Amino acid sequence: MFATGTSPCASRKGATAREGFVLMSLPDPSFLIIQALNGLTNAMFLFLIASGLSIIFGVLGVLNFAHGSLYMLGAYLTHQCVSFFVDVPGYFWWAVILASLAVALLGGVIERLFLRRLYHREELYQLLFTYALVLILSDLAKLIWGTDQFSVSRPAILKGAVEIFGQYFPKYNVVIIFLGPCIAFLFWFIMLRTRWGRMIRAAALDRETLGALGVNVNLLFTVVFVSGSWLAGLGGALVSPVSAIVPGMDVEIIINAFIVVVIGGLGSFWGTFLGALIVGQVYSLGILVLPRLSMVFIYVLMVLVLIIRPWGLLGRSLQR
Amino acid sequence: MRRLPFYVIVSLAVAAMALPAMAADKPIVVGYPMWLSGGGGLFGQPSAKGAEMLVKEVNDAGGLLGRPIELLVRDCKGTPEEATRVSKELILKDQVDFLVGGLSASQGLAISEVAKQEKILYIAPISKAAEMCEPPKLHPYVFRAAANTKTEGRSAAVFMAKHPWKRIATIGPDYAYGQGVTQAFVEWMQKNKPEVEIVYQAWPKLGETDYTPFISPVLAAKPDAAFISLWGGHFVTFAKQALDYGFFEKVKVVAAGEAGSPETARALKDELPLGITSNSYELFYFPDTPEHNAYVQRLREFSGDEYGSSWASTGYIAMQFLVEAIKKAGSTDTDKVIKALEGLTIDTPIGKQTMRAKDHQATRGQFWGTTAKVPEYPFPILKPVEYIPAEDLME
Repeated sequence: MFATGTSPCASRKGATAREGFVLMSLPDPSFLIIQALNGLTNAMFLFLIASGLSIIFGVLGVLNFAHGSLYMLGAYLTHQCVSFFVDVPGYFWWAVILASLAVALLGGVIERLFLRRLYHREELYQLLFTYALVLILSDLAKLIWGTDQFSVSRPAILKGAVEIFGQYFPKYNVVIIFLGPCIAFLFWFIMLRTRWGRMIRAAALDRETLGALGVNVNLLFTVVFVSGSWLAGLGGALVSPVSAIVPGMDVEIIINAFIVVVIGGLGSFWGTFLGALIVGQVYSLGILVLPRLSMVFIYVLMVLVLIIRPWGLLGRSLQR
Repeated sequence: MRRLPFYVIVSLAVAAMALPAMAADKPIVVGYPMWLSGGGGLFGQPSAKGAEMLVKEVNDAGGLLGRPIELLVRDCKGTPEEATRVSKELILKDQVDFLVGGLSASQGLAISEVAKQEKILYIAPISKAAEMCEPPKLHPYVFRAAANTKTEGRSAAVFMAKHPWKRIATIGPDYAYGQGVTQAFVEWMQKNKPEVEIVYQAWPKLGETDYTPFISPVLAAKPDAAFISLWGGHFVTFAKQALDYGFFEKVKVVAAGEAGSPETARALKDELPLGITSNSYELFYFPDTPEHNAYVQRLREFSGDEYGSSWASTGYIAMQFLVEAIKKAGSTDTDKVIKALEGLTIDTPIGKQTMRAKDHQATRGQFWGTTAKVPEYPFPILKPVEYIPAEDLME
């Protein structure tokens, strides 16, 4: 707003006029519930994205800046698929599946061709590489889809709203709120109860020993990166009906995902879940207190966590 | 007619090239920096088309003062920085005689600064920031053919004041245009209908992708009506998200920022809420006058767009002001054209428009109407629709 050329005097005058309206009368509880549900929807998207980021870091030790770019590609590809299959019944869900799988495939290609060569290098090289990917993928997206805003219509059965205490809440968001914990539980189950899960957890602790025990660690890493990418793609695909698809959504989400994992604890699965819930609620209820500054609450929270508990709420301390 | 001998043609050509300054048909060059790529392209492209169409019409009719007009359309993306850079390049490198262009409010302000420094006449076809044509920013070289945030906000207030709505909320993008138009609306409303209460004001950032955290608080304030100034694609995004919260059933919506333009209607189709009030620069289906219908017909042929974009009128009318002023001045001398423009009244496709001498602001009103479905078109149109003139809304 500062580059817009409003004269400082005019904007200050406007600001005082506006701040007067911020202190609204006490909101009724049904509205608070809706706003909390809005925050919960947002939290589920954040969780989908951040959990992929967190798993990849936990196992591969790579901080993947390009994770947000994969999310963005998921959204653009969904838009593309929806316009292809618009006559097929259930086209939205096909588009979600196809787009997220395509992103997972791309993740596989990135891991096999490039990232694999960087595991033994310093972390700085990995950061530079994933950052370069951010730039390349965002330019690629602009090249293919231009810089227009797109939005995908909700699937027909999920149009409309449910009524909660006299307030409307979109059906689609209800589905997202249920889908988030389902996927969380699924991953938790895989990690804790299956052979693959045990191997993944072992790889996070000591990949050399695991390799010496005859486990194909290379394949394991590819599988983890592909799953993480799939989560990012899925997040992008599912968010497409509720958010505009624009260039720049990649950077916006990666910053938020980083905040989530910093608060929750990088590499910690339930920490990511908790972090997403906190960020979602703080943002959506913060808007009620300071409509123009609700992001500030989240940054303050992150700074507090970094000072008091630098490894995150549920993360492990780095001093082993 | 006997054909001229070859050597005559050659020597004429050589003379024309060697003495460009003396050639009678040296073109009058007009620079047209416009947001052509990206988010604003949906509106910038047709605006440039409208300007190109007027230039073609003038040139086909023998040009201006015996000289053709050359229009240099350049992409200045979405930022004021780029608008400044492109304008300077047009002046220094291409040596344009006049500048017309810029899309966003901040781009207009940026080009106006360049015009002031370089002493080049500039006409803003779209940019609406009211302060551009008010002291201290007003200077002799800047003119605006568009409506401004004040007239737009006030005309929305005029419309709203006719209804018995008491509790009103506003939603506006948090930058020059959104702040300006919302402030104008609120002030005019409070002045002319003091019993109205502004119950909530939401300020999402420009380009917000998720409006849901703003939608519920607005609904919770239980407004009778909402004044929304999200324009173009931003309104499209908002409308899709607000639909499922029952927003348009619970709250009467008055949407500025050309949400009612055929462009937005075509982008949203069935998802454009019916029964909301909105505005447009021009509407291919209104007013049903011979002049306007002829303009729409020419535009259809020129642009190849079966309906004819409403944004083309911005470029067409701004260029019309320039051409008529040059005609009246009988010269392309900047100072003389400025004198001619001040107080000039022209016949545009949407009726008479006057460029006020006092503040270099055109008396451009707004078409306001209610969205409705009609059998003739596959998208909603404004019906009924009225033209709210700007004369009574200006100081």
